[in-house]
Amino acid sequence: MRRRSFMKGLGATGGLAMTSGLAAPALLSGAGRAYAQGGELNVGLLFSLTGAVAVVERTLHDAALMAIEEINAAGGVAGMQLKTFIEDPASDPATYADRARRLVIRDNCVSVFGSYTSASRQAVLPVVEQRNNLYWYPTLYEGRECSRNVMYGGAVPNQQQQDFVPWLTENFGKRFFLIGNNYVYPREENNVCKMLLAGLGGEAVHEEYVPLGHSDFSSVINRIRTEQPDVVFCTLVGDSDVAFARQYHAAGFDPEKMPCASLTRSEVEVQAIGGEAAVGHFSSAPYFMGYQSPENEKFVQAYLSRYGADQVTHFVSEAAYFQVYQFKAAVEKLDPANITPAAIRDAAVGLTTMAPQGEVLIDANLHTHLWPKIARWKSDGQAEILVQSEARVAPDPYWAYEGETCTGEGLVRG
Amino acid sequence: MNRTNKYDFLGYIAFAVIILLGVPFLLGFDGFELNTFARYLALAMVAMALALSWGTAGLLNLGQAATFGIGSYVMAMHLKLAASTNNPGGMPDFMGWTNVESLPWFWQPFHSLTVTLLAGLLLPAAVAGLMAAFMFRGRITGVFVAIITLAFMVALQLVFIEEQRFTGGQNGLTGLAPLSLPGWTVDTYSLSFYYLVAGCLIVALLLGMLVVRSKVGLVLRAIREDASRVRYFGYDVASYETFVFCLSAAIAGWAGMLYTLVLEFASPTYMSVSFSLAIVIWCAVGGRESLVWAAVGAILVNLAEGRLSDVFVEGWLLILGLVFILFVIFLPRGLYGLALAMVDRLRGAPRTDATLPVKEG
Repeated sequence: MRRRSFMKGLGATGGLAMTSGLAAPALLSGAGRAYAQGGELNVGLLFSLTGAVAVVERTLHDAALMAIEEINAAGGVAGMQLKTFIEDPASDPATYADRARRLVIRDNCVSVFGSYTSASRQAVLPVVEQRNNLYWYPTLYEGRECSRNVMYGGAVPNQQQQDFVPWLTENFGKRFFLIGNNYVYPREENNVCKMLLAGLGGEAVHEEYVPLGHSDFSSVINRIRTEQPDVVFCTLVGDSDVAFARQYHAAGFDPEKMPCASLTRSEVEVQAIGGEAAVGHFSSAPYFMGYQSPENEKFVQAYLSRYGADQVTHFVSEAAYFQVYQFKAAVEKLDPANITPAAIRDAAVGLTTMAPQGEVLIDANLHTHLWPKIARWKSDGQAEILVQSEARVAPDPYWAYEGETCTGEGLVRG
Repeated sequence: MNRTNKYDFLGYIAFAVIILLGVPFLLGFDGFELNTFARYLALAMVAMALALSWGTAGLLNLGQAATFGIGSYVMAMHLKLAASTNNPGGMPDFMGWTNVESLPWFWQPFHSLTVTLLAGLLLPAAVAGLMAAFMFRGRITGVFVAIITLAFMVALQLVFIEEQRFTGGQNGLTGLAPLSLPGWTVDTYSLSFYYLVAGCLIVALLLGMLVVRSKVGLVLRAIREDASRVRYFGYDVASYETFVFCLSAAIAGWAGMLYTLVLEFASPTYMSVSFSLAIVIWCAVGGRESLVWAAVGAILVNLAEGRLSDVFVEGWLLILGLVFILFVIFLPRGLYGLALAMVDRLRGAPRTDATLPVKEG
């Protein structure tokens, strides 16, 4: 790209002078460009490579990039190579918004793959909605969103909980202790959990939220000791989850009698927690690294040989990977002259793709039909899959909200 | 008019001409580039607000982002209400999800644009006024001002994150309507929106310069050098300090309102420690003694950040950090100090030492 090389020269001379920095963009302005040009199709990657969530987002970046390069090596999409524009939003919502504008408007990307946190997705939404672009979001999330410009590749609450909570009550008991970080995802998952428990005759004995990044759980652990719940239902994320799991283990609680049941703990967190403290606890997700399928074997092997044998794949990086293939399949249905983000979205609806977790399907509401699994962590940091849903589970982002449904026409009330 | 003031004034005129005429032309009137630059201008405004209290009166407000954030949320509340008219009870969606029964009373007034615009200026000023009354009546100065303002901001950010029912929590306020002014629905990628932001910055700068050049400004600079002496002369030091602190907060709130318009959401990260420290860095790079140069510093650092991250996707933060360190070591008075030294050398006048640090606040 013209400007990049220009700016490289500029950077080399240390020239940050305002006028020269500004003169460049004018060379590139121009509206109404076609998306497919010169045998290339521009796509953006918007995952944080620095900052607080970089540990997880880099694995998403890696997985998506690997898929793009696999596709390019195999001849591209409908004969076109994917040209990747990489941005680092540095874990900051304002930077996400800024970089998303670059990818969508300046770099003319036909789709952007990105985001882990809800806050960053919401920072990007105004840009992709206004420009009618397409944002491929691989993360499990709290649901209750129905954008026509986001492809949701991760699980929504019903896909993680509708099998998990009844299974937990059958095997361990009906008294749940809910612990999560204080933001929208844990609160919403717990709303759904309480709703399920009410239907099953169970109860939430206590509900507690700690700030993001919180790492001292002594008071929470005391509370758990006095309440003696049957299950500790856990929606802590990142560092908080790691600290909690370690302190829970150190407190001497027996996972056989009082396990942690997590919606957020993946191979990444377990690696940080250490097998000894993680063993015996449960997670519910559509994908685990140890899942046996030819597609997963291929995925894991390619990932490890590319990024190192000490790396792990997990339920978000798997979605970051298969979403690129969904994108490819959708583009291939289109006439190369008419490739637009909206056309890709419409072509993607109803598509099935063989993902590492099983065959996934894109719903009219742009969420994904997935294969929920319940797994117990082993001391080697891998998950042993105990229960697998018999059928693909449809996504219902407004499951807990009567009278609201996310459909192909957007949110419908009544 | 003394020498420094004359250069400041010339610098101001040059800055205004560049921002109003030069930049849009250089950007080729491209919507995306104008939008990006409008963001820099909003940030320049908050940097200039900090320079007003830090550079002029020596009050280092490490919590400048708090007042910026309040302004930003005020604007976002108005736009969120405008986007929620079809919801049950006209309530923002996140309130419905967190089981809020009806629109809370402190959200009600923000239906009105006039109230919003006034609140965006007055609320930050009032908050700053409260802090100032506490600090300056108690003759708290120097590093303690920095610590108190920083602590206040951290507490405020925590409140915004924790009170998810009313503030949207970690996600902030998103899904906003575009701003509707009488006869104009703001398109944030248009030239007119760019001029709205640029105009606000230029007016705020003028306002700040008028204060700095007035007798009040003189007293404030005297306070910066030696507050006790000024007090012995019979000036009410606390009142002067409170005034400039509130004015700075109001301008920061103003900048926050514009920032919400540019990015189309308000986030608790706007009042984070890292953002607030970034404002201090912009001021330091540009030169805190001059409002215009503080604004230039903010624009240049953000431009550099934008361009660097384009070229060096992996290492841009490291490079930026290195540049800041070099600035602090070799140019403690920022680009402003460098410019003064260069002017002096050209004129053969007695040398101003660009590296000579001014007295710390």
